[in-house]
Amino acid sequence: MGDLVSNLSLGFGVALSFQNLGLAFLGCLVGTLIGVLPGVGPIATIAMLLPITFGLDPVGALIMLAGIYYGAQYGGSTTAILVNIPGEATSVVTTLDGHQMARQGRAGIALGIAAIGSFFAGTVATVVIAALGAPLTSLALIFGPAEYFSLMVMGLVFAVVLARGSILKAIAMILVGVLLSTVGLDLETGEERMTLGLPFLIDGIDFAVLAMGVFGIAEILRNLDHTETRDVVRQAIGRLLPNREDFRQSYKPVLRGTFIGAILGILPGNGAVLGPFASYTIEKKLAKDPSRFGRGAIEGVAGPESANNAGAQTSFIPLLTLGIPPNAVMALMVGAMTIHGIVPGPQVMTRNPELFWGMIASMWVGNLMLLVINLPMVGMWVRLLKVPYHLMFPAILMFCCIGIYSINSLPTDVMFIGFFGIVGYLLIKFGFEPAPMLLGFVLGKLLEENLRRALILSRGSLETFIDRPVSGVLLLVAVVLLVVALLPSIRKGRDEVFTE
Amino acid sequence: MKKIALTLAAGLALAATGAQAQGNYPQRPITMIVPFAAGGPTDVIARIVGDHMSRTLGQQIVIENVAGAGGTTGITRGAQSQPDGYTIMMGHMGTHGAAPALYPNLKYDPAKDFAPIGLAAGTPIVIVAKKDFPANDLKGFLDYMKANADKVNMAHAGVGSVSHSTGIFFNSVVKVKPTMVAYRGTGPALNDLMANTVDYMTDQIVNVAPQILGGNIKAYAIATPERSPALPNVPTTKEAGLPDYEVSAWNAVFAPKGTPPEIVAKLNDALVKSLDDENTRKRLLDLGGVIPSKEERTPAALQKLVESEVARWTPVLKAAGASAE
Amino acid sequence: MSMSEEGGRDRRGPVRSPQNLAAGLSLVFLAGLALWLTRGLSQGHLNAMGPGMLPDWLAYGVGLCGIALLVAAFLKDGEPLEAWSLRGPFFVVVAILAFAVTIRPFSLGPVAIPGLGMIVAGPLAIIIGGYAAPEVQLRPLLVLAFGLTPFCMVLFGDLLNLPIPVFPQSLAGLMPDGWSQKTILRVLAALMAVAAVVIHISGGRRKDGKIDVVTQPEEI
Repeated sequence: MGDLVSNLSLGFGVALSFQNLGLAFLGCLVGTLIGVLPGVGPIATIAMLLPITFGLDPVGALIMLAGIYYGAQYGGSTTAILVNIPGEATSVVTTLDGHQMARQGRAGIALGIAAIGSFFAGTVATVVIAALGAPLTSLALIFGPAEYFSLMVMGLVFAVVLARGSILKAIAMILVGVLLSTVGLDLETGEERMTLGLPFLIDGIDFAVLAMGVFGIAEILRNLDHTETRDVVRQAIGRLLPNREDFRQSYKPVLRGTFIGAILGILPGNGAVLGPFASYTIEKKLAKDPSRFGRGAIEGVAGPESANNAGAQTSFIPLLTLGIPPNAVMALMVGAMTIHGIVPGPQVMTRNPELFWGMIASMWVGNLMLLVINLPMVGMWVRLLKVPYHLMFPAILMFCCIGIYSINSLPTDVMFIGFFGIVGYLLIKFGFEPAPMLLGFVLGKLLEENLRRALILSRGSLETFIDRPVSGVLLLVAVVLLVVALLPSIRKGRDEVFTE
Repeated sequence: MKKIALTLAAGLALAATGAQAQGNYPQRPITMIVPFAAGGPTDVIARIVGDHMSRTLGQQIVIENVAGAGGTTGITRGAQSQPDGYTIMMGHMGTHGAAPALYPNLKYDPAKDFAPIGLAAGTPIVIVAKKDFPANDLKGFLDYMKANADKVNMAHAGVGSVSHSTGIFFNSVVKVKPTMVAYRGTGPALNDLMANTVDYMTDQIVNVAPQILGGNIKAYAIATPERSPALPNVPTTKEAGLPDYEVSAWNAVFAPKGTPPEIVAKLNDALVKSLDDENTRKRLLDLGGVIPSKEERTPAALQKLVESEVARWTPVLKAAGASAE
Repeated sequence: MSMSEEGGRDRRGPVRSPQNLAAGLSLVFLAGLALWLTRGLSQGHLNAMGPGMLPDWLAYGVGLCGIALLVAAFLKDGEPLEAWSLRGPFFVVVAILAFAVTIRPFSLGPVAIPGLGMIVAGPLAIIIGGYAAPEVQLRPLLVLAFGLTPFCMVLFGDLLNLPIPVFPQSLAGLMPDGWSQKTILRVLAALMAVAAVVIHISGGRRKDGKIDVVTQPEEI
């Protein structure tokens, strides 16, 4: 314990230096502004802004990059709440209730609780990393392909629970999402799957493109149809920040979300993406009135946002302790460290303790900065919603195009959001929900990879998924959850799945 | 190809201009296309070298990451851009050596569609294995593999990646056919290697050095003529008894075909100067990179290298049936 | 299947849920498309799953859901298909395409458009996209386009240094020599912003609160 305190004080000594404070602030600010750009998530933001950090010393550069990361995460949540466009896989869940809250004039509350929940989660996660960082990495090594597969199956079941309407349609959407994720070059054999011979489909469909089209553009198209309902938002702005009642409803989801997100974030291979989904599912199941979810339930924002941020922080653990990036963002951080002459790996903790502990301390500082920057901005964002829609949507359109273009510099990406926009529009007309499809898409890649890998390693034996204890437990949980999810609808006959 | 230029709004003459005064090159920032995601080895090398080149040339070198299809998307775009010296690219062993064999519909010819500028830095390949592997040196490793050919598996970071091509080459030199396990990138592959889930891998030193030094994985040999200062205890393949396996993931700067020779010379000069700079050398060496010798840095040497690499990789990869089709 | 009956509803045929019918049909179509596209891929076996295995299973799953929906469409009441609009999707898609083909040099067959950058692509997207709304007014759109684009140009092209093309190189050739890229960018942005202000001011003083309603042309 004494160790922890002395390490943390070393860290804070580094993080609270004037220069590093300024860099953290700058990083958070810039990250937020770019992250707000529809479709631009943390990965794209950091990649874009990496060159800015070159003139700085390593610790300062990493602090700034981390700030950009959190800022971009929060900026993505802002867009998810305000205009229903998820910048990243983890913001998809926030759109479900967050945007509904915005439509009800409670945008400020949604943004506020997201910021505060994230701050709390970030604080807890920082302590977790500081205290348990090294031991927790061994947890990561327990997870092999079979365990990941079962985790993803569980994730897909979450996706079923997330659905608001017909379960049959939700299942169909999830399957479609997984199917879409298989487009591209096959990982094992290199064969092209469903690419129609088009070169830009070789790497498959980009998440940002799919999300932007199916959420963003389709939303614009849908709003253009319904002139009457969209102006309601502008009238009732209401309170800007959460009040006591909101906090009372949210504090438990925040706690639960933090816990879930923190654990899942440690898993390499992007376990963090499951955090918000798991939190949402659990909140929906635990709530007294689950039908509120999908219609503006504050728990649906508080929980996932906390899980999101906790996962974002703890995903630094495999990076800082093992030098292995658990997801694409951390891979960028590895690159940044390498450019600055730091070899990421197990020795960083011992060879560069100021870097290690300084980064951890600055995580908390960054979270604080986010709160400081964003809470005042809530008023500005909410006022932005008052702009007449027929002027706002062309602006959103342009920002979407710029955002998508800046990720890969590919005009074909931009064209695709138009295509997926039409697809999304049709989906809504047919009564489907896009969120489960997006979820299926995100999980699909990981699902298939790990399924095939596990089968290769076990030489075709399917029992490997049940023999290995962790995997077996996860599958069991998934089955139980699925039954629990389907039970109400079968019993009450509400949204009938099959007519027999 | 016949092209009809579309003239748009009045006042903007929009024919493709090539009329930059070449004598004052460069007059504006230069874009260097890196055909991989930011943060990877090639990207890091490009940024380190580009940083110093910017100072010599007096104009900023802006890195543009255009990732996809094993790097060929970015290189295709670079090959098709204007040969005015304002778009260059960082290619490597994969994009300009292995690509013709892996991608039958490749839209460029590595030996013909480029004006080579010069080699930047190479990253040696290391043969690594999981910590629990029942062998302590390369010889033991090879013996075990030959005896248990059907039980061994090899990890790689996906078709078209360096670990894939060099892995196939390794298998063909050693004459084994392990089960290939694909991963999406080096990170997950290393992870499973550390977790003792897969047996071995051949990858760039940049990626594996930290884990070797941390004791999480074993290294049997490094595939270069000399030991690397970053890994002084790892023998070379020549020392360990496998002299035929020598391969290094080289990275080099290219410009599109038709770039004027004066501009090529200026770029080469800036590149060479960056490779001589203390600071840049240090950063590259810290990565475990290998800096090319003076003779290897000329455009002519690069052209020769490309041609020999294509000749080397095509039969190896075709024999293994590896292709992205 | 129930026979049609006279009743208060318009659509009272055998199809009791047109929405589910359309949904089911589209799923079956998608499944068929996927199966057709993957027909050449090998299935492999369990210990070496081929590239075709999972997509095929998924396609079957999607098809099954589609069939279930089709069955439900005939057996259960559901919602009718909402009214469609062609104007919105058309203009939005054209706006997006306009952005995509003007931001970088684009060539397709005999047609080649040189790269025009954000300075053209942005306003195009805004103006064309604006027409997707029935109550479009050109003047505010122009102000928005010429006001927002310079903001983006400066923020993304200048302050953040994103590798996004901002203006066509040929335009730079018209500027005096010796002006750096950044200077040209700022000058152009300033010019555009001025244009926005001019258009806004010359629009007259119509400060009535009705923004979303089609404004009547000024008489006097």
